Amino acid sequence: MNILVLLRMVPDVVEELEIAPDGRTLDTEYLRMIVNESDDHALEQALILKERKGGKVTVLALDAPDVDDVLFSAVAKGADRVMKIEGGDGGVTTRAAAGMFAEIIRNEKDLQPFDIVLTGVQAIDDLDALVAPILSHRLGLPYLAIVTKVTPDATGKSVTAIREFAGGVRGEFDVPLPAVLGIQAAEKPPRYVPVAKVRAAMKTSKIESIGVPTMADGGQPLLDVSHMRKPVVSGHAQMLDGEPEDVSKKLAGIFTERGLL
Amino acid sequence: MHDPAAAEYFGLPGFAYLWLFALVSFFLFGRRVWRYIQTLIEARNEPRWDQIPRRLGVFGLDVLAQRKLLREPVIGVAHFLIFWAFVVFAVSFFWNLIRGLLPFLPIPYADDVSWMAAVLTVMGVLGLAALIVAAVRRYIFPPAGLEKSGDATLILSLIAIVLLTSLLGQATKESSPQLAQALWWVHMATVLGFLAYLPYSKHLHLLASPFGVLFGALQPGGIPPPSEGASFRDDFTWRQLFSGLACAECGRCERGCPAFQSGEPLSPKVLMHHFKELVRSPSLVRDGDGVIGNQVQQEDIWGCRTCLACMDRCPVANEHIPIIVEMRRFLISQGTVDAHLQSTLVNLTRYGNSFGASPRTRAKWTQNLEFKPKDARKEKVEYLWFVGDYASFDARLQPVVQATARLFHEASLDFGILYDGENNSGNDVRRVGEEGLFDMLREKNRHAFDKSSFDRIVTTDPHSFQALKNEYGESNGHVQHYTQLVDHLIDDGKLTVGKRLGIKATYHDPCYLGRYNGVYDAPRRILNRIGVEMVEMPRNRADSYCCGAGGGRIWMEDVPCSKERPAESRVREAAALPGVETLVVSCPKDLVMFQDALKTTGLEDKLVVKDLVELVEQSCRPDKERVECPT
Repeated sequence: MNILVLLRMVPDVVEELEIAPDGRTLDTEYLRMIVNESDDHALEQALILKERKGGKVTVLALDAPDVDDVLFSAVAKGADRVMKIEGGDGGVTTRAAAGMFAEIIRNEKDLQPFDIVLTGVQAIDDLDALVAPILSHRLGLPYLAIVTKVTPDATGKSVTAIREFAGGVRGEFDVPLPAVLGIQAAEKPPRYVPVAKVRAAMKTSKIESIGVPTMADGGQPLLDVSHMRKPVVSGHAQMLDGEPEDVSKKLAGIFTERGLL
Repeated sequence: MHDPAAAEYFGLPGFAYLWLFALVSFFLFGRRVWRYIQTLIEARNEPRWDQIPRRLGVFGLDVLAQRKLLREPVIGVAHFLIFWAFVVFAVSFFWNLIRGLLPFLPIPYADDVSWMAAVLTVMGVLGLAALIVAAVRRYIFPPAGLEKSGDATLILSLIAIVLLTSLLGQATKESSPQLAQALWWVHMATVLGFLAYLPYSKHLHLLASPFGVLFGALQPGGIPPPSEGASFRDDFTWRQLFSGLACAECGRCERGCPAFQSGEPLSPKVLMHHFKELVRSPSLVRDGDGVIGNQVQQEDIWGCRTCLACMDRCPVANEHIPIIVEMRRFLISQGTVDAHLQSTLVNLTRYGNSFGASPRTRAKWTQNLEFKPKDARKEKVEYLWFVGDYASFDARLQPVVQATARLFHEASLDFGILYDGENNSGNDVRRVGEEGLFDMLREKNRHAFDKSSFDRIVTTDPHSFQALKNEYGESNGHVQHYTQLVDHLIDDGKLTVGKRLGIKATYHDPCYLGRYNGVYDAPRRILNRIGVEMVEMPRNRADSYCCGAGGGRIWMEDVPCSKERPAESRVREAAALPGVETLVVSCPKDLVMFQDALKTTGLEDKLVVKDLVELVEQSCRPDKERVECPT
């Protein structure tokens, strides 16, 4: 099974996010990048598939600070080939990212033939979960999102994918290959890879570099960010002290006062 | 008595029988011992031939003087006597054997030499008395962890027979030479039988343990040589495997082990027993997962706190912790880690701290100080203060770390910190088996040290103290724990003791300060000087009982245990001391662990946990307004 995994770096919210002087982007001075969590799950799911069915895992990432560490650690975990798309100006919109991935997957002949494309269903800077759908549309492939388990069938022509719905409902889908899947979570949490193995991978493996492809629509965003603002702190929690009896009375009083009761 | 070797029995001379018995016995003994030696040769090498004079010194103390056994005095004295009786009787045995095998030699038998006979009599009587003490202890008042095994009974009986036959033989030499001769043969046959049986018995320890001590670890670090971990027999080093052969299953390790005492699955004694079986197993099969998952379970491996109690008290210098760390390395290399531990390791890799906090917030605790500590990367300082993760990031430690800073400031100490240049020291990372991550953290810290200018290092956390002092190489100059530094500052008059506190308190020795580095007196001296009346807990100094946090356990999910957790047992021990209301600690992890344990045991109104530095501040800065910081 030939599996393509798409990775993207997102801002690490352990660091405080600051808005750049232009008021439209994040200040890169304090920005620290981390691999998008559900992309990490997509990689794990790919490695699990490889372990079960054999084949090859190719990881394709958009260039960003610290992406090399992520790619070497993917090799240490068991990925066969790691590539990064270099030469962009950094700030890429969801649509542009999907466009780049699509162009490369279509045009890089040695990525063909592939059986399945796995990527995270969403990212903290793409909560509308659009990279995978746009990609599948451009590649003309079937697409399924919020996937939590992928099981290849015996023929190798399709997979059974579990998709989560609201309220704990799960759907089982038979997905013909090749296809694009948006992974919500891998079957198992992403594995631990010891630092020594990552360091060994840094010495023995190579990250292939691909230039940013030229896109038919120029890759220009259709929508612009006009302002970015930090959330304004408003209102405070009010603590109700006293015996449960009194507290519930006070609570009922507040509800009535605000017209909730 | 006629010469037993010259006398004839059933038409053959005595020495012919002696030759036969001796050859059979030595053959059985040699065949077995040779197999053990082969197994050790096949194992990974671990050089232990350095510093021979120092090793001989340890040998003198721990083998000849039986230092560790004497820590349990009654059985210690008994064992001391049995050991020396054994040595004397072994000399006499070989003397007599040579004389018997080679009857033409112009020398008398050992017991025919008057001074030797006197020594044999004295040691024989003392040895028998000691055997009675040992038997009473084993069968009537057995301590926890000591089993009433058939093997032990057999060995005790054999030693008794050897001593009795010799004593009785001497007593009857004149009155009944026939009986004396019969006893001589019983004596020799018993010793030869003993020799043949020994390598098959747990009492192989009496042959193996002197070598175990001689080739023991000279630094109490517990870190095995570089490896990718071990699960199969030949992955372990010869010295690790040797531990199994030397173990006498006395149970001293279990009695000090926080995991075992809490009713968790790990038993250091049983672990050694498995290694004994591993060395003894005839063939080496490399399939499956090796030891892990078969003889030793993952819960055992992760249960260890690396507190060193087992190794510190082990009379035969067994190396439990290196074996555990080897197996942890194996599990780490397989990616088999507890989810909590995994996320902590990921945090340490990414942020250099176990809290998963932004490295930029490491020195946030300095914000409310009335002065700003120097940045050692920018200004030259005398002391580089390595604050450590817990003191830097845990809200409960903020009063402690700030009090430390104020005291240093008060003493006009020229000190600085590394701010966001400090990384976790890696002490516990190493002990969970993530050697690669330890290397990385050490490189980062060394890099920060190289960029800074300082003469000495002082640490808050005994865990960082151990790593920086003993595991960072020679380049770090002098490393001190803050208790040592504060002790000096008071000595030099830089800190003036103001108020005598007049309270009664007890002090908990942290594993990595006490057992690992032998710092016991500095904290006690400080307590004494600030007017604290010290009451020792029953388990103090080298016998101190681990709080349960070490060896990376503080980063792992709590496992169910059938008894009290280590920290709970420890706060109860402190609370039971009459009149003691304060438990003094000098390790950030202790403070956190014991404060939690006070809550779970409901002892919050009986006892408070204080870091030593907080008490020092109360005494040395009694009138200064203390800046209380929001937590």
